[in-house]
Amino acid sequence: MTEFQILFEQHKDLITIAVYGTSIALIVIGLYAVLMKKHLIKIVIGLSIMDAGIHLLFVAIGYISGGTAPIFSRGNENAGARMVDPVPQALVLTAIVIGFAITALALSLIIRLYKHHHTANIDQLNSLKW
Amino acid sequence: MVITPVHYIIAPLIAAFAIPLLTKIHKDAARVVPGIVLFYNVIVSFVLMKHIREHGMISEVLAGWQAPWGINLVVTPFTGYLASMVSILGFIIWLYGFRFKRTLKGGEIKFYEILQMMMIAGSIGIIITGDIFNLFVFIEIVGISAFSLTAFYRSRDGAEAGFKYLLIGGFASAFLLLGIIIIYTQTGSLNMAQIAERMPDVPQQMKIIALIFFLVALGIEAEMFPLNGWAPDAYSQAPTPTSATFAAVVSVAGVYALIRVVYTMFDVEGVNNYLMIMGFVSMLIAEIAAISQKNLKRMLAYSSMGQIGLVLIAFGIGSKLAVFGALFLMLNHGVIKSLLFMTGSYFIYNTEDKKIKSLNGIYKKLPFVSFLFGLGALALIGFPPFSGFWSKFYILMSAADEKYIFLIIGILLVTVIELTYYLRVVGRIFFAKEEGEPASHKPSVNAIIAMSSLALFIIVIGVYPDLIMPHIQSAAEALLDKSNYIQQILSLN
Amino acid sequence: MFKKLIVFILIGVIGYMLTVTFSNIPLGENRIGSLDNPETVSAFYLNKSPQDLKVANTITAIVVNFRGFDTLGEVTVLFLAATGLASILYRKEDEEEEENIKHFAHRLNLPSSSLVRTGAKILFPLLLLLGIYVFIHGHLTPGGGFQGGAIIATGFLLMLISYKGFQTNHKVMVWLESLAGLGFVGIGLYGLIAYGSFLQNTGWTGNLNDLISGGLIPLIYIFIGIKVATELTNVLDILLNIKPRKK
Repeated sequence: MTEFQILFEQHKDLITIAVYGTSIALIVIGLYAVLMKKHLIKIVIGLSIMDAGIHLLFVAIGYISGGTAPIFSRGNENAGARMVDPVPQALVLTAIVIGFAITALALSLIIRLYKHHHTANIDQLNSLKW
Repeated sequence: MVITPVHYIIAPLIAAFAIPLLTKIHKDAARVVPGIVLFYNVIVSFVLMKHIREHGMISEVLAGWQAPWGINLVVTPFTGYLASMVSILGFIIWLYGFRFKRTLKGGEIKFYEILQMMMIAGSIGIIITGDIFNLFVFIEIVGISAFSLTAFYRSRDGAEAGFKYLLIGGFASAFLLLGIIIIYTQTGSLNMAQIAERMPDVPQQMKIIALIFFLVALGIEAEMFPLNGWAPDAYSQAPTPTSATFAAVVSVAGVYALIRVVYTMFDVEGVNNYLMIMGFVSMLIAEIAAISQKNLKRMLAYSSMGQIGLVLIAFGIGSKLAVFGALFLMLNHGVIKSLLFMTGSYFIYNTEDKKIKSLNGIYKKLPFVSFLFGLGALALIGFPPFSGFWSKFYILMSAADEKYIFLIIGILLVTVIELTYYLRVVGRIFFAKEEGEPASHKPSVNAIIAMSSLALFIIVIGVYPDLIMPHIQSAAEALLDKSNYIQQILSLN
Repeated sequence: MFKKLIVFILIGVIGYMLTVTFSNIPLGENRIGSLDNPETVSAFYLNKSPQDLKVANTITAIVVNFRGFDTLGEVTVLFLAATGLASILYRKEDEEEEENIKHFAHRLNLPSSSLVRTGAKILFPLLLLLGIYVFIHGHLTPGGGFQGGAIIATGFLLMLISYKGFQTNHKVMVWLESLAGLGFVGIGLYGLIAYGSFLQNTGWTGNLNDLISGGLIPLIYIFIGIKVATELTNVLDILLNIKPRKK
């Protein structure tokens, strides 16, 4: 047992609440920002925060108590049974890149909207109400 | 080289990556290459359909890893039918837009063509993939292209519609990811067949919450009420070939994803009723909203949402006849709605006004286009000699079999509403008097070919529905035979 | 007020759903199962990555080989985002554009301090080198094409914001981007033609933890690295240089 594993087993409930709590809080905060904020940039930030929460959640469910990074480095060739789940990490990589693409596109649309309206307040964009 | 399902994706990808280089060699490359690629996809469709009729379904493994481990592409009669439909319509839409895009300014054509082609390729990807995370990636490919294309024209409203679509699409991707996380923790797999196999062991509560996330995310793609707020704006602001693609290709792929998740992956009781109710509500609301529209494209968009609602109702009924009707309706919806958008776009192009009231007497200026629009409108409402009649007929039959009286009344009521607003437009086109100069923009040859082939399809299938019925029949059987799907994928290769 | 209430109810419902769900998914639990007789995908990947593919970094094996098709899609998403961005923002010879530049000009043309400029000049080649190192060693150490590409793009971002006149060579970027994308698809096609499965790795894989090991996986990751670097740089370039390019 590694030092961290002992620590983890001792404070399992606390760490669970901290990790899941943080990610769910991020998702909820992001959701709030997207739905309630008036400034377009803030809305996009909200979207990014929500994405970050989901990615954190995804990585967290891949953790296995006492697991190491899933890399078979030298002298570690047979450590497969002691490794954390690699799949969520790989999928999160994909999800992050997609999140980046959406953010970039959103920002470019904001630039366009700002040019047309000279404002970034969502209340003054008429067709955005629904 | 033997043609395999992965060709559907590779060909557009090679073209998309190469177009920036090819345009440096010849400036028309950007307009021609997507056509070649989309035509190649049509060939792939025919070859694959022939193959599965003779040898049964195909499950192609990627990167050499067998089905539950690697990503696989599945062509069953069901997915093959939808993929063929999407690729053929995609090619026709390209043909229609070939000359149309000349009106765009210089360097933009390249971007437009890449995005449009990848939107169609991504929709085919959604349909043929057998992996839940791969589905997410393809949905994002379609999404990113669709957001950009919505804001493609340099108008103020275009950017707003694009931003709105993007926000809702961002929600969809977030929720889809949450659903995938929950399913992954419970089954340890990402392959749809294996997830379906392990689903009975998943606790009921997890199942339902995951299903809610999937329904919300995919309901956005499938334009299901109340998640379809983006659709009218996006449809009306996008360039016309893109609007036609939204109706004929993207919404079909969205409905497919929803149905695949509900029918194959999950085994929750009562989702069918939910689908039926939501379909009914979205149909009713969309059709009522369509009456009050003053903008032609918005009206078509609402009508499109209404049709998708009807498709969802039929899938919700869930009997074999109903699924058959739903698949038939998806095809009809794709063909007819593309025709309506294409012809409608020529009206807008000529009157330089998107308003319905400016269509008065346009029959005299554009007789052929007006005739096709009228034909499409009648087919959509479901008049007997056209293909639209059959799909509505079968859905009504299936509702009658299951004794859903309120559904029958609702569908007939909606048909009356459709009749009202389409005939209002058709009446204006043909009978209203309006003096004006002759048409300045006659349809070009390629657009005439594209629109006529769609119209021909509507008439031929309307008269001889037997031409297409066996395919739809086997597609419906393939969708409903869940255990066969699971077994084939997990053992075949 | 009414809207606020709905939003709060919605947020509450989603938060509650997530809390309930994840309280039933214990953190740190081993859901992988036995590696030798794999039931889950993770067990299969952890088993096959060192044995069959000879790739030390399992995540790289997943990203590039087991689920390489996802990664191809992901690279495409980035490519489409760059394309979409260009189509949304980039217009040559446009009068309104000129006006906007005047509007932004006083902010855009502020020179950065010489400290920043000198620092950027020193850091830029190092960042480039680090990025290249990261994607070349993607199959051995943490990191890979996406991370390396992002590091390189950071280097370009540093240059773009510290030197107002700094412009990337557009022609080279287009070529690199297209060729890297075609290279990725080309390797996939090689697998399809030679072994019958798109993106399949070669039989020769070398030894675990060697720089040249894992068959075609490092090569694919290099292509991904180049593609991601050029695409991210393109996105940043388009977003920062709203002004029309010199022809």
